[in-house]
Amino acid sequence: MAGINIIPLFVVIPLGAAFLISLFGKFIRRFADIAAVVTSLSLLVCSFRVMMFLQNTPGKLLIYKIGGWQPPFGICLVIDGLSMFILFIISLIGFFVTVYSLAYMEKYTDKSKFFTLFSLMICGMNGAAITGDLFNLFVFLEIASIASYALVAFGTGHEELEASFKYAIMGSVASCFIFMAIAFLYGFTSTLNMADMARTLSYKQGNSFVPFVGVLFLMGFGLKSALIPFHAWLPDAHSSAPAPVSAMLSGVLIKALGVYSLIRIFFNILGATQGFLSALMFLSVVSIIIGGILSLSQWNLKRLMAYSSIGQIGYILLGIGLGTPLGIFGALFHLLNHSVMKSLLFLTAGSIDYAGGGKDLRDMSGISKSMPFTAKVNLIASMAVSGIPPFSGFFSKLIIIVACIQKGYLGYGVCAVVGSILTLSAFMKVQKFAFFGERKDGAKNIKEAPWLMRFSMAFLALFCVIGGLMLLPSIRFFISDAVQVVVKGTSYSSIILEAISK
Amino acid sequence: MKILLEPILVSIVAGLFIFAIPNKFRKLAEIFSLFTALYLFVAGIKIFFASPLNAGYLYVDNLSRFIVPGIGFFGFLITLYSLKSMSGYKSVSSYYAYIIWTIGVSILAAVSNNIIIFLVSWGFLGFLLYALINMKGPEANAISKKTFIIIAGSDAFMIIGFSMLWMITGYLNLTDIKIPIDSNLSFWSFFLIAIGAFAKAGVMPFHTWIPETASQAPVSVTAFLPASLDKLLGIYLLMRLVLNIFVLNTFSYSILMVIGSITIIAAVMMALIQHDFKKLLGYHAVSQVGYMVLGIGTGNPIGIAGGLFHMLNHAIYKCCLFLSGGNVEYKTKTAELDNLGGLSKIMPLTFFTTVVAACAISGIPPFNGFFSKWMIYQGLVENGKSGGILWVFCLAAAMFGSGLTLASFIKLIHAIFLGQEAGHRSSLAPECKIRCARDRQVIGNRSRDEVSWQMWVPVITLAILCIVFGVFAYQIPLKFFIGPVLGAGFEFIGKWQSLKATLFLFAGLVIGLIIYLLGNFKSVRVSDSYIGGEPLEKDMRLSGTEFYNTVKEYGVLGFIYKKAEAGFFDLYEQVKKMVLGLGGFFQYLHNGILPTYLVWTLLGMMGLFLFFMR
Repeated sequence: MAGINIIPLFVVIPLGAAFLISLFGKFIRRFADIAAVVTSLSLLVCSFRVMMFLQNTPGKLLIYKIGGWQPPFGICLVIDGLSMFILFIISLIGFFVTVYSLAYMEKYTDKSKFFTLFSLMICGMNGAAITGDLFNLFVFLEIASIASYALVAFGTGHEELEASFKYAIMGSVASCFIFMAIAFLYGFTSTLNMADMARTLSYKQGNSFVPFVGVLFLMGFGLKSALIPFHAWLPDAHSSAPAPVSAMLSGVLIKALGVYSLIRIFFNILGATQGFLSALMFLSVVSIIIGGILSLSQWNLKRLMAYSSIGQIGYILLGIGLGTPLGIFGALFHLLNHSVMKSLLFLTAGSIDYAGGGKDLRDMSGISKSMPFTAKVNLIASMAVSGIPPFSGFFSKLIIIVACIQKGYLGYGVCAVVGSILTLSAFMKVQKFAFFGERKDGAKNIKEAPWLMRFSMAFLALFCVIGGLMLLPSIRFFISDAVQVVVKGTSYSSIILEAISK
Repeated sequence: MKILLEPILVSIVAGLFIFAIPNKFRKLAEIFSLFTALYLFVAGIKIFFASPLNAGYLYVDNLSRFIVPGIGFFGFLITLYSLKSMSGYKSVSSYYAYIIWTIGVSILAAVSNNIIIFLVSWGFLGFLLYALINMKGPEANAISKKTFIIIAGSDAFMIIGFSMLWMITGYLNLTDIKIPIDSNLSFWSFFLIAIGAFAKAGVMPFHTWIPETASQAPVSVTAFLPASLDKLLGIYLLMRLVLNIFVLNTFSYSILMVIGSITIIAAVMMALIQHDFKKLLGYHAVSQVGYMVLGIGTGNPIGIAGGLFHMLNHAIYKCCLFLSGGNVEYKTKTAELDNLGGLSKIMPLTFFTTVVAACAISGIPPFNGFFSKWMIYQGLVENGKSGGILWVFCLAAAMFGSGLTLASFIKLIHAIFLGQEAGHRSSLAPECKIRCARDRQVIGNRSRDEVSWQMWVPVITLAILCIVFGVFAYQIPLKFFIGPVLGAGFEFIGKWQSLKATLFLFAGLVIGLIIYLLGNFKSVRVSDSYIGGEPLEKDMRLSGTEFYNTVKEYGVLGFIYKKAEAGFFDLYEQVKKMVLGLGGFFQYLHNGILPTYLVWTLLGMMGLFLFFMR
């Protein structure tokens, strides 16, 4: 198949899978499992194919016109370095989480419903990452969000329902403001195609319209990516969802919907002004510090990890907010690392819970004796997230800190360092209370997680160990292509429009 | 390049291999790691003779060339020692893997020229230390957590310091960098990097992990990392900063001197009152770093050379002390001074090594510790020639600290090796009596019960080195190791003829012995310990630690001691309290009520509007 025709498959495959699983999953045994694995595996293969194809395409840009309609009248799907980057992360984490949930979701009753919702969520995220149309972005965003509201409530306990309710309300408020902003933009530019919109905006400036829309977007996507003070839904939602869902939410969803859209809209459409960058950096630093402190004072394992996600999103957006190529490189690299290590952390928390170790750190003790594999993997992920060399997180944090200093933001650099110490302390607390210590009497019959779960965790842990190699010049293209897209800023429009007209 | 890279790669691969050996094949892991450690030692010696080398990212100059074989040397001794001392631990393969990695990565840290490689290796060492302390088991994990947070936290500040350095100069290779401290930026850059060195070496106020690690971690780990390797590396980094990377001004030098003096006095005062000998040694490991920093802080060649020499000496005698202590603990299963005593006849080799190392650390001629302290004093006097009053206080602190060191080691030696044997006390609580009885069973029945050769060979080697480096100081260490570092050389104010002096000392001792033998030594009077005229009762036992309680109860000092033991001066504990307080406040704000959260969101949006639309 020609490379360009693979592009719609990123939406079609998961959407079709969701449909089929909900239709047949109830009747055919193991259908849901097989369909889910095949889906995620084929998505992973597709993203590899497209990545290779993108490398050999001049301009590193692929455009698929839906139904053959010429944009800006029709909708187009665009894959550039940044979309490819996000797409690959979604597929990678999606695959491992799917494999993990094959075993993990056994303890819930309705696996086929789970995989239906899961595929829908993947579909929404993939769509948001590859679309070139702003309204289409909103639609995919809503698909993914609504699927995630349902997934958070999957356990249907009162805690899950409450968390899901809060998440749904706050998510809808955010969606509402995003929608409003898109409507304003549409009214102002009379187009919904991102590239076209950017071009129109570039010669229709000179009033306070763009900052106004900017604030609406910043609030909406800030809430989706859980920046403080828009973060309050995250700890509840991420800690009460089933572990694979938490892994997906913390690892991918907040980045695909929040960070990616934020970058795309602000850098490529509206144009990143200094005011926006300063606001973003300020909020990020607040997130780093407060997220770090809050995660340190948690006793619920998953809630601790969820708060640490807020801090790590702060790092990503701090790097983005610097606006320098180095900062953006560090930020995107940290995005990649964080999706791997945070999903891994949530998966380990899931295996502890699965094995009967409980959720509260005060109830756990000496788990490393019963679950040596999980303990080792968790140690690796903790080290990576705290930025201990030579694990992957160290390098991305290093780049972000260096970029801060390079741009002269010494204070922000110090805050980033303090945040990293706070993260380390929080995960040291996990190590101390959960894994070391004397084994409790009730914990004697805890067994190691099944092999499917260990398989996923092992691969993700491997990446945490050797992730620093991503900086080698021969594989760096994966990140630096994405950085190129961000750095080019609003000239994105002319590139896309030129490619469309060909 | 190859000669530098090879040992590092070998250590990583060998470490992975050892890590993969199941704990069942204990002998295989032990023997393999012993040979790897030996190989690394030999490779270190090769690097020493091949240097100076410059291979781009890696380089060896006169400063790092003697650090490398030093790392290999201690690594080998510790591996040898661990064969026996770790015999009670189960997860041997990961232990030896961590040890081998530590050796390799330390070598990498010492030879790296590139800032990034340096930071990676330096940070990984912190992780390895954490893993090694955890070997002890559940009781050690509070300490390992604290240690790791202090070390990794200071490393994080070091990253900022290095990035500032990079911003000022634009170079990533240390050999390209040489800047004066003339602006705020360069000053902070220096001090932030120095924080990393301070935490590693254990300078106040980043020292609190050392005594606690010493009391909890396996003794081979303590002797390896906090006692010798971390000193080598920490002071190496400080030296590198002072000699090559920065040109310090008087103010920075003075700060170093003040930090050094405070560290000497405060830590040795804490050491004085300890009852656990491992903790006591740990405080001395902090106190001695003060001398090194003080020596470097004098800023003149003789003082800096003295600091460097003291680093080398300290690594030797402190490693020896910890390992000797480990021998005692291995045999008696206790580290409490109160429960020990009279071991000199039972463990003569350990007694000998402890006395030698204790004399060295207290600065008694002709041992090596005296020589380096003597150089540091000279550096201070030299520093005083340029005026100022600070050097007087520093000199006083250094000398007074030396005296207190001797005092606390007299206590240690008395309590462990001299004095009455343990188990004579009947006024103890019953459970204690049982333990004492067990101790007596272990040590009391036989007249000689030395540890096996794997454990005494390392300590004897180190003790001999203490003597050799002291007596032949000019001929060996200064000529080959220390001298080349200070390219221009250094002048002694007062020359200490170590060889002649030793001969005289020895002659004096021999004459004393002859007089003793010629006299009617058979009528030597043996009497009870003098305890202020009180009669010594049968069930009374003096371990020696009680004599030092006076210090603890002395007015203002008593107050300070009480605060210090409660962690009042512990930076880590104070920051922890603050952060947890803040965390409690933020948690109070997160009350779980949806409208509150929505209000935050709207308030946040309003703030953004105000910011953007003004």
